[in-house]
Amino acid sequence: MRKVLLVVSLLFACLVMAQLAADVPRNETFIANQLTGRVGTPGNFNLWAGWRWQDRGIQNLLLEPLWCVEYATGEIINALAAEPPIYNSDFTELTIKLRKGVYWSDGVLFTADDVVYTIELLKRVPGMSYNAQLQEVAEVKKLDDYTVVVKLTGSNSRFHTYLLDRWGALRILPKHVFEKVEDPMTFEFNPPVGTGPYVLKGYDPGGYWTLWELRKDWERTPTGMLYGKPAPKYVLIQTFGTAEQQVLAMARHELDAADLTMEGLRAVLQRVNTARAWRRDFPWSVNIDPCVTGLHFNNAVEPYNNPEVRWALTLAIDIVEYAGNAFDGAVTLSPIHLPLTSAYYDWYFTRIEEWLKSLELDLGDGQKFKPYDPTAGERLAEYAKKRGYKVPTDPGEIKKIFGPGWYKYAPDVAEKLLIKNGFKRDPKTGKWLLPNGKPWTITILTTTNPAHPSYRNGFAASQAWKKFGIDVTVMTSDALATLGQRGEFEITTDWPAAEPWGGHPDLFRVFDPYNSEYLVPIGENAPWGNYGRWTNPEMDAVIAKLKDTDWNDTEGIVTVGLEGLKLLIKEMPGIPTFNYPGVVAWDEYYWTNYPGAENMYCQPYHHWPNFKYMLPFLKPTGKK
Amino acid sequence: MKTLRDLLRDGRFKFAFAVCLILLILSVMSFFSPYDPYRWNVVPRDLSPQWPHLFGTTSTGQDIFWLLTFAVRNSLTMSLIASMVSRVIAIIIGLTAGHKGGKVDKTLMFISDSFLIIPLLLIIIMFAVMVRGRMNLAGLGLLLGMFGWAWDARVIRSQVLSLRERDFIYTAVLSGSSTLSIVFKEYMPFLIPLVFATLIGNMSWAIGMEIVLAILGVLNLETPLIGTMLYWAINYQSILLGYWWWILTPVMTSVFLFIALYLMSVSISEYLDPRMRIQRVGRA
Amino acid sequence: MTQAGAFTRPGIFSKEVEVLRFFRTYFLPRILIYFLVIVVGVTIVFVIPRLLPMDPIQQMIGQITSTGAYLDPKAMNYMIETLKELYGLKGSLWEQYWSFWKRLFRGDFGPSYFQFPVPVISLIRQSLPWTLGLLLTTTLVSWILGNVLGALGGYFPQKSWAKILDVISMVIRPMPYYVLALSLLLLFAYFIPVFPLGGGFLIGGRIRFDLRSILILLKHAFLPAMSLILLGVFLWFQAMKLVVQSVKNEDFVSYAKLGGLSQSKIVRRYVMRNAMLPQITGLALSLGQIFSGALITEIVFSYPGLGTLLYNAIFTGDYNLLMGIMSMSIFVITTSILVIDLLYPIFDPRVRYR
Repeated sequence: MRKVLLVVSLLFACLVMAQLAADVPRNETFIANQLTGRVGTPGNFNLWAGWRWQDRGIQNLLLEPLWCVEYATGEIINALAAEPPIYNSDFTELTIKLRKGVYWSDGVLFTADDVVYTIELLKRVPGMSYNAQLQEVAEVKKLDDYTVVVKLTGSNSRFHTYLLDRWGALRILPKHVFEKVEDPMTFEFNPPVGTGPYVLKGYDPGGYWTLWELRKDWERTPTGMLYGKPAPKYVLIQTFGTAEQQVLAMARHELDAADLTMEGLRAVLQRVNTARAWRRDFPWSVNIDPCVTGLHFNNAVEPYNNPEVRWALTLAIDIVEYAGNAFDGAVTLSPIHLPLTSAYYDWYFTRIEEWLKSLELDLGDGQKFKPYDPTAGERLAEYAKKRGYKVPTDPGEIKKIFGPGWYKYAPDVAEKLLIKNGFKRDPKTGKWLLPNGKPWTITILTTTNPAHPSYRNGFAASQAWKKFGIDVTVMTSDALATLGQRGEFEITTDWPAAEPWGGHPDLFRVFDPYNSEYLVPIGENAPWGNYGRWTNPEMDAVIAKLKDTDWNDTEGIVTVGLEGLKLLIKEMPGIPTFNYPGVVAWDEYYWTNYPGAENMYCQPYHHWPNFKYMLPFLKPTGKK
Repeated sequence: MKTLRDLLRDGRFKFAFAVCLILLILSVMSFFSPYDPYRWNVVPRDLSPQWPHLFGTTSTGQDIFWLLTFAVRNSLTMSLIASMVSRVIAIIIGLTAGHKGGKVDKTLMFISDSFLIIPLLLIIIMFAVMVRGRMNLAGLGLLLGMFGWAWDARVIRSQVLSLRERDFIYTAVLSGSSTLSIVFKEYMPFLIPLVFATLIGNMSWAIGMEIVLAILGVLNLETPLIGTMLYWAINYQSILLGYWWWILTPVMTSVFLFIALYLMSVSISEYLDPRMRIQRVGRA
Repeated sequence: MTQAGAFTRPGIFSKEVEVLRFFRTYFLPRILIYFLVIVVGVTIVFVIPRLLPMDPIQQMIGQITSTGAYLDPKAMNYMIETLKELYGLKGSLWEQYWSFWKRLFRGDFGPSYFQFPVPVISLIRQSLPWTLGLLLTTTLVSWILGNVLGALGGYFPQKSWAKILDVISMVIRPMPYYVLALSLLLLFAYFIPVFPLGGGFLIGGRIRFDLRSILILLKHAFLPAMSLILLGVFLWFQAMKLVVQSVKNEDFVSYAKLGGLSQSKIVRRYVMRNAMLPQITGLALSLGQIFSGALITEIVFSYPGLGTLLYNAIFTGDYNLLMGIMSMSIFVITTSILVIDLLYPIFDPRVRYR
């Protein structure tokens, strides 16, 4: 018996070893969580052949795009491209000027040959990414080693956006590697070769981690040229699974950047004294994500095809209680169909604020009502204070943190609007009845992930409308994409409008899905951003005007954009509630100088392609 | 009544009976709940157990005690439906197959095997997804019941196979007893302990499945069930944030529920089995 | 006398007659059922994913558009057609069914949709060793341990250790597995940090065939294995105990006792051998369930394996991957049931002479 115990304890002793391999020192490594979960094809880095978990380091460390959106500063970074795109007068030809002196990680010079080869290859082979979009290309050729000309089959002033990296883009692949390959679809691209500052050092055959090492010639990459030497020698991108595991890992200082839920963030801040959120104080969450969340009506289905019904449902929401239910108040409200990052706030909100304050709804028989409430942000701050959180007192700060305003909580007005349109309350139960006499039931279709703002919006809305007297059920489904595209829903928590670029005032991306050209009946695929099938001839006019406005004409773009936004608010095809509240947690035990709210030199997420542009600014603390 | 008093002499049954009674009372209390379990934010959030919130409140603003009454009621109903449906199916199929033998046996085992060979959890997930989360309690019970019988049918069948070769069965068959009376008078006394063992197994399996489905998010998460209570508690990080009352309530409830079911079934089956009863008499 | 009559006459041909009869009336039909079950199972496996509301092409498009790529409707229709072609979803259901069987005979499950064009076989091959290693070991260990403890506990129910085990098993069994796993993780990876928080192997290291690698593998597998074994042992313990308790009271046991046989002989040769019968069937089925993977174990402990592979396949509508894994599972389970059924007469002589 004693011998057994001895052997067992010896085994235990042997098993206590360092967490990382011997030659990867912890204090030179940056460990980040992999947002997209465990990699299903760990040995395959060929993201041109399909989904390859690009945030495991491929998009955020290994590859550089031509252009990259930087929504923290509202700019576009010229990475592999040297200048913004140049179109001819009728937008049928795009000229791209490339950056000189960039080398692939295997020592080959990056030239226009790579760009030409990439476009031709992807256009030719069915199934490769962007194959469908590239059919618009009539011809692509190089003018010299650093200039590429793309001739299009038709006029498209936004063609270059395929090459603009916003968590995904058409990236350039190395010609000298792919031209030797027989079948680019089955090619594994292992070990991968890239234009970014890191190269692959190792990966887990089980798919749980990928390890990257700094390139010795980092100064020959756009990151090095623009920003300098990245501080961590190694970057480890690891899948931790559940939020609990990330919290525990951070508590053991085995995780530097985590993606958490609000509750997970609170747990981390409680337990780990070197941890911080993006904003050091409440509400902690990132509010510069270029995305606004809310509710999306199916405008092709009764009674949501009636803008007054949609407005009634909007006014039936008490946004403070809504935000409390969704995220305990830690959100930035947005009354327009744009996220209120500082860039969009300056470009658009300042110019629409007065109009919002004077906006009027017609309640019938001469009554008018002004729905906008400029104090909504302050009321939300009050709620937060009552919950015990520390809240700033400066009204300017409150506007930026909690939102400049939203729509009033006016259930009586909502009632008037509904009655005007034939709705009645059931005298016995007080619940609402449709004009045809049947009880009004709403099913909100949402995602299954409980931390997702989409989900939280769904439950918050169901609570608000239940209070108002409607029978609401929330249906969670992972077939959200399928059902949404086919229009098989009443209300979904898909974004109220498509996300804008983030680093540029152009709103083409937001408006184009509403183009009546794309309108399809229920059962067929609707474009993303307009699953709700709303169209309007005025919006078509706006889209046409925008198409003819050059990408670099800021004033022109903003003027047209404002028209579109005002139309969206009047019609309310979707209800915008608050900015996407991203939650990141950083551990300052090994690394500091993160791009937090007080130091917004760069966007905060490690899974975005901009991660590599953040790394030169991090500072090691020197702890072992 | 005399049976009950007899049973109550067994200490284990006493405990189990008490727990079941408490749970039943809780279920009935749900009809008197002052809060609608489908509404959030009706009470202050994250309160530890204190009057008037006996078990504290959740981060979604719900009273845990009253939520529990609904959860117990729904989980019990659901698992009862599931296990009764599956017991009936399992007994019918297992008995018929074991006793009749031949073609009937082969066909029935064929059907049963077809149910066994498919990875159960995934099929159930797929069915749940197919019904698009609109499933109500009875539906969930039925779904679980339809999949929970295959293994037990085989077990019953193998027991019946061994029993069938015994003399008393031959005696019964040869003396012309009808199949039905053979089933009830001869087989059942031996099968009942087995059936009860599999019944608790099945009830706890049903609740376990309900919990797994809830945690994976495949059920309608607004319905109060033990599984969905757990789900919300886990997802709102109650463990790491120190809201122990929120996570412990569903865990302790399911632990007690299962212990009670097990003890009850063990003592009842001992009581019913004539030979075990003699042992009891000796002990008591 | 008819031909049939000649064959049923006892005599010097008895042994051959017995074997032939066994073959005809038991073996052949059993094999027939085996193949039939597989065909039906595989058909079900083919049909069910297509009943899911998840359309793989829609899910893929949803995935692409949500991660930044902008698809205008013309491009989207083009992509849908291309994908249909590549995924083999063109043509009627019958055509797809037939090509599925043709591929199956070549041992090819086709390409995964979500991770196109990686073949399903290589995806399975990557995750299978982890699942097999973990689940095979834990199933066997908990079966053996649970049955031994259960037999002893059932035979000597009055002993104190048997009672203690009973109480422990009653408490652990009803615990939701997620909570059990999470508690283990908290206890031994956080509060007393002995084991790693997750993963299958050391980060930054390579798996080699040496002692160090094996130790590291064991260290990472310890907590997930422990959680599974705890649950499994007590399951088998309780089941076996019940069976033994009823077997214990059989006449032949009393006769054995009266005949003066030693305790251990009675337990081993009489009680256990009879109690094992339903347990063996149970083992065969448990082994077959390995293919569904231990989904929650993999989630909580970040352990690689088939479970998460399958789970993701459901939600991305990856028909080929679903069909691949489930078909393999069907093969394994039906084969193990077949083996058990054929060997059953060896274990239980009463069944032999039917």
